[in-house]
Amino acid sequence: MKKTRKRLFAYDNVGILFVLPAFVYMLVFVGYPIVRNIVLSFQDVTVRTLTKPDKPFAGLQNYIDIFQDPVFIRSLLNTLIFTVCCLVFQFIIGFLLALFFNQNFKTSKVVRGLLLIPWMIPITVTALIFKFIFGTDVGILNYALQSLGLIKENIDWLTSTNTAMFALICANVWIGIPFNMILISTGLTTIPTELYESAALDGAGKVQTFFKITLPLLRPTIESVLILGFIYTFKVYDLVYVMTSGGPVNSTHMLSTYSYKLSFELFKYSKGAAVANVLLVILLIVGVFYLRATKEENE
Amino acid sequence: MGGEKKITGKKNVILSILSVVLLCVLLFPLFWILMTSLKTEQEIFRIPPTIIPEKLNLASYAAQVETGDFNMFQSFANSFIISIGATLISVILAVPASYGIAKYRFRGRKVMLLGFLVTQMLPVAVLLTPMFILFRGMNLYNTPGAAILADATIGIPFSILILKNYFASIPRDLEEAAYIDGCNRFSAFIRVLIPIAKPGVMVCAIFSFLYAWGDLAYGMTFIIDQQKRPITAGIFNFMGQYGTKWSYLTAFAVVTIIPVALIFIFMQKYIISGMTSGAVKG
Amino acid sequence: MKKKRILALAMTAALTAGMLAGCGGDSGNGENKESGGGDKEVTIWYYWETEGHQVALDKVITDYNSSQDEYEVTAKYVPFADFKKQLSIGASADELPDIAILDSPDHASYAVMDIFADITDKFDVSNYYEGAVDSCTIDGTLYGVPFGVNCLGLYYNEDMLKEAGCDVPTTWDELKETAQKLTKDNVTGLAFCSLANEEGTFNFMPWVWSTGTDSYTIDSEGGIKALTLAKDLVDSGAMSKECINWTQGDVMNQFISGNVAMMINGPWQIPTMQQEAPDLNWNVALIPKDAEYASCLGGENYAVIKDGNEEGALDFLEYATSQEQVEYLMDAFGYISADKTIAESQFAEDPVMQTFTEELNYAKARGPLAEWPEVSNAISLAFNKVMTGEAQPADAAAEAQATIDGIVGQ
Repeated sequence: MKKTRKRLFAYDNVGILFVLPAFVYMLVFVGYPIVRNIVLSFQDVTVRTLTKPDKPFAGLQNYIDIFQDPVFIRSLLNTLIFTVCCLVFQFIIGFLLALFFNQNFKTSKVVRGLLLIPWMIPITVTALIFKFIFGTDVGILNYALQSLGLIKENIDWLTSTNTAMFALICANVWIGIPFNMILISTGLTTIPTELYESAALDGAGKVQTFFKITLPLLRPTIESVLILGFIYTFKVYDLVYVMTSGGPVNSTHMLSTYSYKLSFELFKYSKGAAVANVLLVILLIVGVFYLRATKEENE
Repeated sequence: MGGEKKITGKKNVILSILSVVLLCVLLFPLFWILMTSLKTEQEIFRIPPTIIPEKLNLASYAAQVETGDFNMFQSFANSFIISIGATLISVILAVPASYGIAKYRFRGRKVMLLGFLVTQMLPVAVLLTPMFILFRGMNLYNTPGAAILADATIGIPFSILILKNYFASIPRDLEEAAYIDGCNRFSAFIRVLIPIAKPGVMVCAIFSFLYAWGDLAYGMTFIIDQQKRPITAGIFNFMGQYGTKWSYLTAFAVVTIIPVALIFIFMQKYIISGMTSGAVKG
Repeated sequence: MKKKRILALAMTAALTAGMLAGCGGDSGNGENKESGGGDKEVTIWYYWETEGHQVALDKVITDYNSSQDEYEVTAKYVPFADFKKQLSIGASADELPDIAILDSPDHASYAVMDIFADITDKFDVSNYYEGAVDSCTIDGTLYGVPFGVNCLGLYYNEDMLKEAGCDVPTTWDELKETAQKLTKDNVTGLAFCSLANEEGTFNFMPWVWSTGTDSYTIDSEGGIKALTLAKDLVDSGAMSKECINWTQGDVMNQFISGNVAMMINGPWQIPTMQQEAPDLNWNVALIPKDAEYASCLGGENYAVIKDGNEEGALDFLEYATSQEQVEYLMDAFGYISADKTIAESQFAEDPVMQTFTEELNYAKARGPLAEWPEVSNAISLAFNKVMTGEAQPADAAAEAQATIDGIVGQ
């Protein structure tokens, strides 16, 4: 029995046939841009050389330049701060909501369904909504805080370098909560009921059950949720572009928006490519860590 | 639902009320723009703000029908075609791929998995120009096809990473039973595994749809004709045009959200049951 | 063993990508004629979002199409925020319209990209304003035709000024004082678009130039003085900090809603203002001066794309720049013709537009410089830093200067 199983599943190259179509698709549409972008970042492409057949080779100059560019360093830090804050909050809130709605009460399914709406709204619209809420004079948030006596004067959330990032994080967490909630909810459904029942028979408390059964069995789901959340948050673009465009004074530029600005607003194509590659390398490292972490489960 | 027992009595009432409170808090931004869209521009700036509009003002909605060459319904149709197309491609390619990755240990498996991770990491600024060149070569520039193919690149890797876990959690015994019944690998995959992984497939379909639905950069860059562009491009134009005219902007936002929300509310019975019913037991 | 496998896979990937790159490029070139529209079609890209502008352009195009059978012109609207990107990508991918109507300070950047046709001997611009022609000329070669020009002026709410007992300010000191007096409740005295982009720079340059300083020496007495003016206005509350997020359209909306008493803006807003707020009493004056009057020259240029349907494009331009069409377009746009003869007779009975025509004498052009977007970026960063309180005027000026020196010194 053991032997047949091994022949059927282990190192079975038939599996590649299932994967190949998707892989080739991605190779064509994304693999090629990656290669092109790497080449571009080692050249010196500006308005003067964009349409020339021979583009001057620049070696590492673009990378040296961007690492001396304070806006780039700021963008790098911003991206990290933004990603970590968003992940922490949306994961915790999403997880709690998933557990809450996993209980079978009358409104659980309907309300959980409705809570998905923030996720369905195009990010462009979400950005618009939060821009309105965080407005200095027109925004409801300032009014609410004032009436609660928490602030004396209106805070200029989006036009002050100290608070714009906070507004962006709030907006992104709002979008991210349903994402985390629904993936964890579906993950919870894969946990066999019998386990909970026998745990209850053994006299395990709720907290104990959570740490001994729910968390370990959810591990693969949690890993995917966090890694996907990281990737999608790290390359955040639309939200920042619409809400702050990286401002005020570059205080909310992310690697993605800065790369866009360099490429399409300042026409420094190669520098934009170099910034994007830094982003790519960071994500690649995260990806490798993810694969390492999931090794056990795969082998 | 994870086999949770049905809760009845007092606890049911408390939890239900609590859930509605949560709903109100989390969806307040939507309620707020709906109210704002019904106010006049002067009332929007009033301090203290009015929660319910004092005087119902529908002019902002009327203005949208009247202005420009932008056709709301056409944009919706465009967005739907693009999103459905991208969802189909994502699901058709991602379901077998995730099965292959979860159940087979072939050569280069890890590299491919890493590949799928990497491909969804590129910032949009990098992708636009090369993709544009590709689509132009394929004669797809300025057609929904370009946006469909581009949007599918967001859905595919995402779906694979999610579905991989689903297939991995399906016991091998089930598959082996299918072989004994005379299935080969492919028919076992289609007849036995896909039905079991249905909740995962549903989630992936929904997410792929929504990624495509929310996309702005691709739809705007690869389609130049306003009449062929998705709704997000319409919003973006509108924001450029009306900057801080909040009565117009919020009305536009509401008009964009309502149809999707309605569809979702009517569909959600199927979506939620699809997501939760087929869970693997034992 | 394992390494080899990965290497092999990576190479396959690279090869495939390389092949694709080849394909894309080849078929792209082969197809150029077709998508360029053959010999009959002429496509135009423009970015005006104002409905009145779109309608006016459409009318000229429709008239042109029915006036002859040889060419068929179609215009496509590309949002301003997207316009630069679309032209850049189009230049790399060889997918461009036949005519682009673009913002004049960007003209030089695209001209050096080598995507515009040389029309030096094909179009007569001798009767056009010099600043406008300069913006489409690189090293003596003409790469475009001015569409129309405009500049910035000071709009003021007459009722608010009367109520506060103020005269129209003509100097910076008067401006600060008046703006301060007009600020009360939820009304702020002055607003000008201060976005961290070209639009913001457009609105900031008049202050710099008014001190007698040029665009490339921000770290000078004058440059610092201009930055200090912005700082004083914001610090005193006479100007809202929100201006750093307001487009010129937003500023206009705030003005007609009565939230702002004075604003810096251009004449293209007038048709919308008259339509949206017909009862508002407002007027226009020259921008208050420091050492000399100054304003910033704005407007768009037509550019003919190289290797497109050049003949069709030029034929259309001949038509669209004829006196009758220009007069119609300029009126609908609230622009001033770049053609001196037309401009002088354009506003015989319109005192507001006469003020703008007078202001035009003091208006200077940005650039022309291929790297102007970078210079502009440095300048807009400087006044944004000052207005948000991130930096003192002197420090912001020094920083901007370092960047500008790096660009211009090249």
